[in-house]
Amino acid sequence: MMATAPRRQTLPAGEPDAEHRRHVVSALVIDRPGTLNRVSGLLRARSFNIESLTVGTTHEPGKSRMTIAIRGDDGHLRQVLAQLERVIDVLEVHDLTTVPHVELELALVELEPPDGPDAESRLRAALDAAGGELITPADGSWRARLTATPTEIDRALEALRPLGLRRLVRAGAVAMTTTAQTTTPTENGEPRA
Amino acid sequence: MTALRLPDDQPTPVAARTVAPRIGARAVCEALVREGATTIFGYPGGTVLPIYDVLREFPLRHILVRHEQGGAHAADGFSRATGGVGVAIATSGPGAINLVTGLATAMMDSVPMVAITGNVPRALLGKDAFQETDIVGIALPVTKYATVVMDPDEVPLAMAEAFEIARSGRPGPVLLDFPKDVLQLETSAPHPEPHELRLPGLLRPVRGDVPEADELAELIGRAERPLILAGHGVQIADATELLRQVAERSEVPVAHTLLGIGNMDETHRLSAGYAGMHGWMHVNKAIQQCDLLVGIGCRYDDRITGKTSTFAPRATIVHVDVDRSEIGKNVRTDLGIVADAGDLLAALLRRLPQSEPRTAWLEQIAEWRVVSEARSWHGSGAWREGRLSADYVIDRIGEATGHQATLVSDVGQNQMWAARYFGFRKPFHHLSSGGLGTMGYAVPAAMGAALGTPERETWAVVGDGGFQMTMQELATLVQDQIPVRIAVLNNHRLGMIRQWQEIIYDENYHSAELLGPDLVRLCEAYGIPAWRATKPEEVDGVIAEARKAPGPALIDFHLDEAQNVYPMMLPGKGLSEMVEGGAE
Repeated sequence: MMATAPRRQTLPAGEPDAEHRRHVVSALVIDRPGTLNRVSGLLRARSFNIESLTVGTTHEPGKSRMTIAIRGDDGHLRQVLAQLERVIDVLEVHDLTTVPHVELELALVELEPPDGPDAESRLRAALDAAGGELITPADGSWRARLTATPTEIDRALEALRPLGLRRLVRAGAVAMTTTAQTTTPTENGEPRA
Repeated sequence: MTALRLPDDQPTPVAARTVAPRIGARAVCEALVREGATTIFGYPGGTVLPIYDVLREFPLRHILVRHEQGGAHAADGFSRATGGVGVAIATSGPGAINLVTGLATAMMDSVPMVAITGNVPRALLGKDAFQETDIVGIALPVTKYATVVMDPDEVPLAMAEAFEIARSGRPGPVLLDFPKDVLQLETSAPHPEPHELRLPGLLRPVRGDVPEADELAELIGRAERPLILAGHGVQIADATELLRQVAERSEVPVAHTLLGIGNMDETHRLSAGYAGMHGWMHVNKAIQQCDLLVGIGCRYDDRITGKTSTFAPRATIVHVDVDRSEIGKNVRTDLGIVADAGDLLAALLRRLPQSEPRTAWLEQIAEWRVVSEARSWHGSGAWREGRLSADYVIDRIGEATGHQATLVSDVGQNQMWAARYFGFRKPFHHLSSGGLGTMGYAVPAAMGAALGTPERETWAVVGDGGFQMTMQELATLVQDQIPVRIAVLNNHRLGMIRQWQEIIYDENYHSAELLGPDLVRLCEAYGIPAWRATKPEEVDGVIAEARKAPGPALIDFHLDEAQNVYPMMLPGKGLSEMVEGGAE
């Protein structure tokens, strides 16, 4: 967690890892025009391709939370997160990848109407596996929402594709730590001991 | 918040009132005065005219530059020489965009600055109005912060926050964009007290003792061949005196980066000298041979390290920086400490016992130094044969001014010669665009430095290429009689380009030859006293003459055109693979 990183640091050389691991980054930011631009601009300048980025309000007025799913080598990303941390409108940055967290995504799909009971049961099974639920089936269309981890949604989509996936909209991942908050940011953004 | 007033609800013109209302523009000027600004650099235009309309009422000296880039560099030079926060003003659209090079220059070198731009009235924003541009969007990646102020009542707070952001922690430039009507509308909003600033996201360094200094003190105690590499951060923290004390207490020699020039008096027995791509061989050897390298307030950037995999191979590498994101960015770091350079040095001083002289190590460096200076001292040595060489010119300016002048260098060969041969003694006396490498920096930045430190003599050292990039500021120097002495190291070419083409591109010279005006006659047209020197024996005379001028002066030094800067680290190579020249 960047905001609580110790002042003393030992870091290996900045050689890139071969593997570009998926990271889920959570940033608490000030809700103000331009904040998204600052964050995404910094990631762009460092050539990161954002897999998904969501922004929404939090329990605290005036503060928003961004969840950024991103692939990149660990050392490079750690350095970029430290740079994100110094953006004036960014209050906290955490890489959730290394701490217990829950991650969920919402997806909306429109499907071909199944051409028989067998197809329908396969479709329903795929939806069930990803927290899916049919919405407005009465109008003859087959639309559903899926609420699951991004990986579960990926799998469900693989199963749905051969059954006729007409349209897909994904919301991007949101995530939250599942450990108790150990620090509370003070007024000036520095964590309390 | 006042209700948004749109152009059909124009404020009454100031002149029509008997009591001048306190409009946004006045709040801007009040804030500048409150923040300690005395001299500001700007260029008027439609959207900032409300500021120019009230400027006379405030104790602010406005320097009318000839191009906004010059204004930004002048504000930068003012900041670097004084340790304060320089201010630049530009109008919307092209005026604001012309600031960008100066903002990026300041950003790369952690120079505090506040840039004020006008923009079209709020109701016209986003409508492609005349001279409208999204300057905040353009400035974001090259500023520490940039924002638009959309409410006159927000002006005092936005101004106070801009200055606080610019100078706190790792300093940097801040741009505030004011739609014209925000400057024209009345506001009674008071200037905030420090505790009223809303900057929860501003990283402020933890101040006070640095417990991690225990570990560093132990490393220094154990090391046989320790070396400190001190950068700009030491001067930003105003900690050069502490650095000297730490060096003397621990008997550790101190190398410096380009912007770390002035951290130590170069004649001090523990000052190793300038490191890096065109640094002294003995310093680079010391980096490669040391067993402990303590980087303080530097970035370990590529011009210092070369190939990082072969950098300081025998050393435990320590990196102290106020900016956490610098640590581990470029080189393997065995111990990183996030702290203000001054706090760290003070903490070290409290912990370090007086060291025995490290005779063997210091003698080794001294031995390397003898070889290094014999090979490259005065570079080509052309001056010995009656041909004028840059190293000689820089050396003579240093001697003539007792090494007490502020020297503002441009970018390229001139910058490296200035760094190597001037012989700096004090902090804040060497200004240069180290990170961005902005040609055209020297003359306008020297203008700002000279105005900020009238008690000092200010020299701009610039090549004929960089000079031609911003020479429009000669008129500013004349109009305000700013006493900058300009030494043009004129080799009628882009010297560093030619050097790279000679050494790396197999002598395939393209666009390196540079036609320029007759600089003496050019200065005559501007009313600036100017001299030309073509032989070594003329150098002292013209420097003495130029120093007597009450205002600006220029010397056109016609150099031997074949001179290169050596040693040189080739791109992609390491500090142990320097090319040595100077034998031609």
